[in-house]
Formats: sequence, C-alpha cells, structure tokens
Amino acid sequence: MTLFVRFALRRLLAALLVLLVLSIVIYALFYVLPGDPARLACGPKCTTAQVDQVRAQLGLGHPVYVQYAHFLHGLVVGTDVSTGVGTEHCGAPCLGFSYQNGEQVTSLLAERLPATASLALGAMVLWLVLGVGTGLLSALRHGGLTERVLTALTLAGNAVPVFITGILLMLLFVSVLGWLPFPSYVPLTDDPEQWAWNLVLPWLSLAILESAKYSRLTRSSLLETLAEDHVRTFRAYGVRERSVIGRHALRGAVPPIIALSALDLGTMFGGAVLTESLFGIPGLGKSLVDSVRTEDLPVVVGLVLVTGFFVVLANAVADVLYAVADRRVVLA
Amino acid sequence: MTATDPLTAPGAVAATPAAAPGARQVWRRLRARRAALAGACVIVLLALMALAAPLLAALEGQDPDAYHADAVDSALGGVPIGSFGGIGADHWLGVEPGTGRDLFVRLVYGARISLGVGLAATAVQVIIGIGVGLAAGLGNRLLDTLLSRTTDVMLALPSLVFAIALLAIVPAGFPRPVLLVLVLGLLGWGGTSRIVRAQTLTLKSLDYVAAARLGGSGRWRVARRELLPSLAAPVATYTALLVPSNIASEAGLSFLGIGVKPPTPSWGQMLSSATTWYQADPTYVLLPAGLIFVTVFAFTTLGDGIRTALDPRAASRVPGRARRRKEARA
Amino acid sequence: MRQPSVIARRVAAASVGLVMAAGAAACGPKDNDAKGAAGGDSAPHKGGTLTVLNTEPQEDFDPARLYTSGGGNVPGLVFRTLTTRNRENGAAGAKVVPDLATDLGTPSKDATVWTYHLKDGLKFEDGTPITTADIKYGIERSFAAELSGGAPYLRDWLIGGKDYQGPYKDKKGLDSIETPDDKTIVFHLNKPEGDFPFLATQTSFAPVPKAKDTGTKYENHPYSSGPYKVVSNQNDGQHLVLERNTYWDPKTDDERKAYPDRIDVQSGLDGAVINQRLSAGSGKDAAAVTTDTNLTAAELAKITGDKQLAARVGTGQFGYTDYIAFNPKVKPFDNPKVRQAIAYAVDRSTVVNALGGSSLAKPATTFLPDQKAFGYTPYDPFPAGPSGNAAKAKELLKEAGYANGLTITLTHDSSAGDEQGPEVATALQDALKKAGITVKLQGLESSAYSEKIHGVKTEPGFFLTGWGADWPSGGPFLAPIFDGRQIVKDGYNFNASQLNDPAVDKEIDEINKLTDLQAAAKRWGALDKKIGEQALTVPLVHPVYKRLFGKDIKNVVISDWTGVLDVSQVAVK
Repeated sequence: MTLFVRFALRRLLAALLVLLVLSIVIYALFYVLPGDPARLACGPKCTTAQVDQVRAQLGLGHPVYVQYAHFLHGLVVGTDVSTGVGTEHCGAPCLGFSYQNGEQVTSLLAERLPATASLALGAMVLWLVLGVGTGLLSALRHGGLTERVLTALTLAGNAVPVFITGILLMLLFVSVLGWLPFPSYVPLTDDPEQWAWNLVLPWLSLAILESAKYSRLTRSSLLETLAEDHVRTFRAYGVRERSVIGRHALRGAVPPIIALSALDLGTMFGGAVLTESLFGIPGLGKSLVDSVRTEDLPVVVGLVLVTGFFVVLANAVADVLYAVADRRVVLA
Repeated sequence: MTATDPLTAPGAVAATPAAAPGARQVWRRLRARRAALAGACVIVLLALMALAAPLLAALEGQDPDAYHADAVDSALGGVPIGSFGGIGADHWLGVEPGTGRDLFVRLVYGARISLGVGLAATAVQVIIGIGVGLAAGLGNRLLDTLLSRTTDVMLALPSLVFAIALLAIVPAGFPRPVLLVLVLGLLGWGGTSRIVRAQTLTLKSLDYVAAARLGGSGRWRVARRELLPSLAAPVATYTALLVPSNIASEAGLSFLGIGVKPPTPSWGQMLSSATTWYQADPTYVLLPAGLIFVTVFAFTTLGDGIRTALDPRAASRVPGRARRRKEARA
Repeated sequence: MRQPSVIARRVAAASVGLVMAAGAAACGPKDNDAKGAAGGDSAPHKGGTLTVLNTEPQEDFDPARLYTSGGGNVPGLVFRTLTTRNRENGAAGAKVVPDLATDLGTPSKDATVWTYHLKDGLKFEDGTPITTADIKYGIERSFAAELSGGAPYLRDWLIGGKDYQGPYKDKKGLDSIETPDDKTIVFHLNKPEGDFPFLATQTSFAPVPKAKDTGTKYENHPYSSGPYKVVSNQNDGQHLVLERNTYWDPKTDDERKAYPDRIDVQSGLDGAVINQRLSAGSGKDAAAVTTDTNLTAAELAKITGDKQLAARVGTGQFGYTDYIAFNPKVKPFDNPKVRQAIAYAVDRSTVVNALGGSSLAKPATTFLPDQKAFGYTPYDPFPAGPSGNAAKAKELLKEAGYANGLTITLTHDSSAGDEQGPEVATALQDALKKAGITVKLQGLESSAYSEKIHGVKTEPGFFLTGWGADWPSGGPFLAPIFDGRQIVKDGYNFNASQLNDPAVDKEIDEINKLTDLQAAAKRWGALDKKIGEQALTVPLVHPVYKRLFGKDIKNVVISDWTGVLDVSQVAVK
C-alpha cells in the first residue's frame, strides 16, 4: 500500500504543479490582451480619473508579477479588501474579487456550481443507461443487424458536435412535437419537477455524445468475457444465460465503466461550455465564456483552477478505481 | 497525469509495429467496408463542392455577400418571403433571415472553411506531434522529461479559454482561417506527441532498431529510416480521427462567435445565428446543422474504417481511458 | 450620454420606449373595450405579486453606482430623487417633474446655482425623516472609487468635483453642495446648466443615511425612500424581493402608482427563455414583465402571427441613434466629398433589415432622435432614398479624385447581433460596393473595439457607433459628440470627428444657459441640422424596442424617456 500512497502523492504533486503553471500562463496571457479591465469595470463613460481610481482599487496598477504574487497570497492565507467604510475579509483559498461586480470569485463559482452539477449528474445517469443498454444489446445480438445499427448510431452520436444534436432535439421536441418546454434552468430547490423537465434536452444531448464510449466499452468487455474459459465452463454446466451475463460477464465491465464515468464527470464539472451556451444554463462553462470576454481575470483564473482541480480529482479517482480493478496499473 | 486520450490508449493503436500492414492490404480491407467507402464518397463530394464554390455560385447566379432586401419581410423581423425559408428558382436553398443573403452559396463557400481549417489544423497537430514525440522518445532523459511535461500541460490546457484569448490578442488584420488553423494546431498536438513517444520507446527496444544503431547509424538517421515508417500506421489511425474532431472544433468556435469573421461564411457561425430562428425559420437551422452532421459523420466513418483496416484487432478491443480535452466538445 | 458597449447595451435593452404599437398604450382607452388577453376588468387595482424576469442581475443596487437610465427601472421603486421622470406614455413621458423636491429647482440668473426644497412627510423605510444632508451624503458617495459606475456629470459640473475623492477618503465633504437646513439644498456649478433638473433625476440624488452606509456592501440592502423596500437580495441582485415600504406616503409621491404588494425580480435568465415564459404565461409568469429583454427579430416573426400574443407586445422608442462615424484626421475621410459619397451610398433598408427589420429599427437621417424633447428637426442633406443613391455617390467620388473606385476599411464590433456588429457592417459593405467603394472589414472584440474607437490616437477613420440619451434633451446628445472642448486626449473620447469649431462650442454654451427647456430644444434642433450638413457622421437608424408582458398585466405605461415599461405603474389585479 505504501507504494500506492507514494504513487498517489507524486500524482498529486504533479497535478498541483500543472495547475500552478496554468495560472501563471493565464496571468501572462491576460496581460497582453487588448482592452483595459479597469475601463471595463468602470463603464465606458467613466472619466480618465475615475478609471485610474478603479485601476488602483483593483490593484491593476502593479506589474503583472506583483499582481500574481497578491493572487497567490490570497489563495494561501486570504486577503482583506476595503468596502469604503470598512474591510471585507476573503478567507483562504481566496480567488480574489471579480473586476466586473466586486463579488468574491469563490462565491460566484459557488453560485454557478449547482447548474453545472445538475447538468453533469443528470447527463451521466442518462449516458450510463443509454451506453450500457446499447452496449449490452449489441453484444447479445453480436453479428446481427441490431448490432450494426447500434454501432452506426453510437458512432454518429459520438462524432456529431453536441450543439448540433441539441438544436436538432430542440427542433423536434420543442418546435415540432411541442412535448417539452423551451429549456430554462430552474434550480432544483425551487421546483424539482420543473428542474428535471427543463433539463431533459441538455441531458439528452450530452448523453448522446457520451454514451457511445460506454456502449463500446460494455460491448467489447462483454464479448471478451463471454469468450473466456470460465464463462464457457459456466455455460457448459448449464448456468442460465441471463445469470451468466448478469453475474459474471457484466461484472468485468463495471470497473472500467465506473472509472470512465468518474473521468467524464470531472470534465463535465468544469463546465460543458457548448451545451450551457446553447441552452442558456447559467453554469461554470457559460461563465467561462462570459468572463473571458469581459477580461474578468480573477473569475477566469478561478474557473480554470477549479476546472483543473475537478479534472485532476477525477483522474485520481479513475486511477484508484483502475488500480482496484487491475493492480498492474499502479506498479507500472 | 496518466489519463490519456482514448485514441492514444493502448487499444486504439497497433501495439506491435511489425504487424503494420502494407498499403495495398489496407486498401483491400478498407474497400471491404461499405460504410467507410460511403464516408469517403461523401467527403469527395464535399471537397469537390468546396473547390468548385465559385463555379456553383456562378451557376446559381448569386453572390455570397449580396444582401437581398426584397427576399425578406422587413416588418416581420426579416423572415424570408416564401415557404421553407424562401426556397425557389432564384435561391435554391432559400435565404438568410434579415439579410436575405443566398444560403446555397454561403453553405458552399462555408465548406471551404470547414474542410480547409479542419484538414490544415490536423496537419499542424500531426507535424508538431511527431516532432515533439520523436524528440522525447529519442532524446536524453532531461529532454524527454521536459517535453513530456510540456505535453501534459498542453493536454491539461483549457483549450477554449486559450482559443478565445488568442483570437482576441492577434491583430484583426491577420487572416482569420490561418489563425484558426494555428490555434487549433498549436493547442491540439498533445495526443499525437504522446503516441509517437510511446511508440518510439517501444521500437527503440526492438531488435532491428537496436541492430541499426549498433551498425553505426546515427540517432536521427535511425529515426528517419527505421522509426518513421513504423510510426505511419498508428499516426495515420489517429490522424483519421483527428480530422472530424477538428472540423467539429472549428464549428464549435464559430458557434461561440470566435471563429472566422464576417462576411466569410462558415457553417458554425450560420448555425449560431440560426438558433434563434428555430421556430420562425427551421430551414435556416436545418441546413448548416445537417451539413456539419454529414461532414463530421462521414469523416468519422472513414476514420473508423481506416482504423479497422490498419489493425482489425483494435476495433474489438477495449477503448481504454477517456480523453482529457473534452471541453471543446461538450 | 450613453455609449454602445456593455452598459449601453444593457440600458438600451432596458430602454424600450413605449408607444404600444400593437395594442396597449397608444390605443389607450380604445383598448378597454377590446380587453384582449388581459380579460375582465381592465382598471388597475392594488395587490398581488408582480414578477420581473430579467437577463441582467441587478448588480450594483447602490444609488451611487447606477448609471442614469439604469436607475429608471426596478431601482426607481426604492430610490426617490429630487426630481424624476414624468410617468406618462410617449412624448409626455419625456418631461421632468418634481419628486422629493417641491419643484424643479430655482436657478440663479445664469443657471449656475440651483436651490431645492424638500416636501413634507418624507421618510426612510425605518421611519426616520429624510433630510437634505442625506441627499448630500448620497451624492458625495458617488465620487468614491469603491463605488464606480455612475454618470460623470456631477464630477464635471460641481465646483471642486474634479478632485473630490468621496466621503470615505475626504471626510470634509463637497463644499459646492450646501444644506442650510434639513429641507433646503443648494448646488453650485462651475458653468451654466439649464438641464440640471434632468440630472437631478439620476439615482445619485437619492438620499443615503450616513449611519446605514456599509460601503460596497450597501447594495445588498439599500435604504428605501420609495414605495418598496428590499426584503431579500440573493446572489448579488440575481433574485430580489421587494415589499411595501409602509413609511412611504403616496400623498408625497405623484408619480409612482405602486399597485402590487410585492415585486419578485428574477434575473440571470436567457433572453429567449424570458420571452418564451412571458408568451406561455403559465403560473406566476402571467403577472410578469421584463425590464431589460427585447423581442428579437426571430421572436417577433413568430409572435406577430398570433393575435393574442401580438396584443401583449409593448413598443417603445428611446432616444438613440446608430450611425457611421468618420475621423477626418484619417485619409481619405478628410475629404468632405468622400464622406458625402458614403452618405449617399448607404442603403438604409438593408441596415434596417440587419437590425431586425422595420419593426425594430427606423431609418435615420438626423443625428438627433426623432423626438420633440430632443429638438428634432427633420433634415436630409444627402438624400440617399431608402436603398442608396450609388450614381450620386460615384459622381462625388469622381469629383474627389477617385474615379476608379476607392478601398477603405470599416471598423466594427465583432459580436454577432450587436448594433455595431458584423451584420450592419456587411450590409454597408454590400451597399458601398455598388458605388464602386471596396470596403474591408475590421471586426474587433467588444472591449478592444470600444477602446480603439474612443482613443484619439487609435481612432480609425470609418467605424460604426451609436449614441443614446441620458435624459431627453439635445444637450447630452450633441455636446459630448461635437463640443471641441470635450475632446479627451488621454482617455475615452466621444467626439469622434474631433470637431473643434468655436461657433459650435459657443452655441452649446448659449443653449446651456437656457432654463426654458422648450426654447432650448428648438435651438438644439437647429444646431443638429447645421452640424449634420458637414457629413461628419452618417445617421443610420433609430432603434425601436418591442417587449412582451404577461397576460394579467394592466396599466402599461412606456415613456419616450426610458422606452421601458414602467414597473412603478404596472398592476397585476
């Protein structure tokens, strides 16, 4: 197990390093971007004097490395900001304050997270059902027409950009059939029924995109297992087919599916930019596009770090799950 | 960061280079797959359409940038006059709402951007990827570590943030399609580099390569004479699947409004302005959406076919762990 | 004076001036027997909950941070100011009327000193009386860097305003605002400003009790002087709930009707979602309005076919002009003939279509908006007709020495759907082609675009821009754009043509001295015509805004001042 712990620690350290490098690169990138964040924050009709005041207020007057040092300082120990009459404390890990509205980035991210989480979790359930279902079906109908049709469908679903699927689904279900409302994000806490109803289309679009991988995974691992000796033995002993598949064959497919799900979920948590943009879901991905456009550096850096964190976390979880399934991975 | 691109994972690529089949054999296998052939035919048609764009425009007698105020109903928000988005003898596929620009010509010209950017970006990715991968695989330990870590960072980059930012930094005078190629290319070589490095490391230890080195061939000569040919199969497999992904990325960037600039027509851009019209003018939505669908699907089918032809066993293998850079997809 | 970019677009969206084309206000009483979608008794009654569905969250819900027009919507329910907009439909709504003050103010002879007296019985939400010291403090706060966002007028107009840092850094306060007693306040300006009563409508003139000031956190719970108070503010103005302020005395307020008991403001919604919900009108959405989301061309195309829905569309006019700006310092735009040729060549019909068609934009030939309050005087020095006069343009180009055509670059905003966006740019490109002018397009991201066109050194020769009014008067429309003394060398410059004509400057000063607003309007109109003949700009369109409202909504009032459905007038019962 110590070997495993050392492996995990090394992975973690490498991940932190990558995140650090990322944040530096983003700082440098925004430094050369045209456009003045102070001007953007102040509004177009601000006088030069006002813009200068705002620049000082946001700490944009300092050289970029000093700004970055401030950011790191805030991240590790927190920071205090003047509200005019008093100060506001932003506790560690403080990602700073939005240039646009002065809110703490951490609370901005927290506001956006539920929408993204709703999208990601719901889509995952759906893509697991769709993916494993079709995979199972095509493995059982191995060599038949069903398999070929399913293979083509999953190939198409995986290849086509999500905004195409989304628009086509919208055209069909909202415009032509009128079965679903025009998607509008409703928080789960406001109205669970509306929440689900309005997320059906985004969930379905993402699930169609993702399920192909799961379908293939299920199919191939099922075919492999079914061909193995012990399964043949079970069959020979007269164990019923359903039991063979349920108890034995499918079991082999479960660990990689879970691992892959963890990984996909991690990426989804970073925000499904296109899906959120298409359906107007106020999540992390939409926020990313918006904040890059307004050059709201603290929000962008916060989003990238949090996104990166989710991916790293998902990778770690996936690795652990793999390790559990296959010891050789850790040792390799 | 051990998580890999699904395509770079072991299952996707022929593990033993010795098994790499000859070109003739590949062609025979490919020809046997009807789906792949159909994909190839569609691609040829699309390519012809893109190349013949001015000709087709002349045939219809329309200009991609010309406004037609008489083809839309101004008081009704600029909805095209006539059924199915104004389809008729003058405008074969109808007109764009608001502007009245001819959709057929714009779609045909849009093919140039989609295919051109998709293919060129793939080329950039593959060239950089092979270069970096070979250098890492053949170089000393320090170089390998440096390049491998850089590849890690490239794969971890939130490509969209960088794409948006890079597209904003570069002066507006810079030709936009070229910029898109560079942005997609420079951000997307990580996968290829990984495969090439892994492949090179495997090959290096193989007898015939070792023999060549013992025989006095220099490191780069070995790379050129012995390694590159053996890399062809896995790289080709990967490339075939990179193309549709790049085409989809271009469409995605254009969809988010950061692709090519107007008046240059692009499918993704048309689709993004079409989304608001999905009720009032569904034809306008269906055309670019359908074309992107068909193009990406055709390339994927062909890519899948090539993969199977190069290594039939790979197709049935577990497709390994998932990719990292999915942001631009979802 | 408003500018295109972020805030402007926000406000422009918020500024559907209303004439209620399709059925409500303009048809006024006639609509009563039609009843239409509203159903039942159409007289407004007190009670119920009004839902507001918005795109933009009410961030910066602080009187110091709101830009002039932005304060005209939901904030106007909470903040009362010395004067306010007249809450009437159409042109009558472009008048300024007293609010906290007893009248529009007493100017000194040269309009540099303005004195106001407060009404009796004015109270904050906790029952404490409102004094002029609270108003002075509110204005001083708007100078603090921590509370940026407000309009710059006070800084420019008040004596000592340029250097004042706000009450947090400068405890002494601004000497140019005097409060001789609790009911009197006196402003000392550094130049004559007959428009001061208009300025006194902006939210920085709302009273703020010093004891309750929490700096940048004040926006979470601004102290109410109006008919409603904030009872809940979640996620920085994303979800606001307002309830009656029981200390507000309707006898002191002639303008706000305050029919609903409760106002629920939900924002951060997608524009398409808002319009979809308003048209479906299920549940609470039946009693909903939006103060910032216009109907898009596509939505309009869909809605116009449905009589019931079309009756629930409010149409508003807001004083705004989208135009082509020239920088005569850049060749070949130094040549008036070239500018005139372009003015002749533009095809306003395709520009109108690019902006959503004739229901959403009207062709413009004057720089001033087509409203009486601005002093609108019709003129068209370069009659291009609806779709351009390419022949005349070619003739002028020949005279200018470009007989073989001309290649120029048009700079525009690259955001799709923007008023200065690629759709308009390509429409112009196509129109000028017919006159032998080859137009190259240079599209820039909004922020970069905004900086480029507003920097004297970076300003391109030929670009798209727009201008909206902070209040309905010619002054804030013409002065920033054409006053030679307003050329800003090292900051944001709005005088794009860099016109520095002493005669124009003198006329602006003369008109500013007038406290008779009608007389002033007339002279602004004449000045506009005089400048328009120089072809320094090519006016393209005046936008029109269309908005849906829920089926239970009554008493829809949309003034030409804001162009917005006035939430203080709306009833849900």
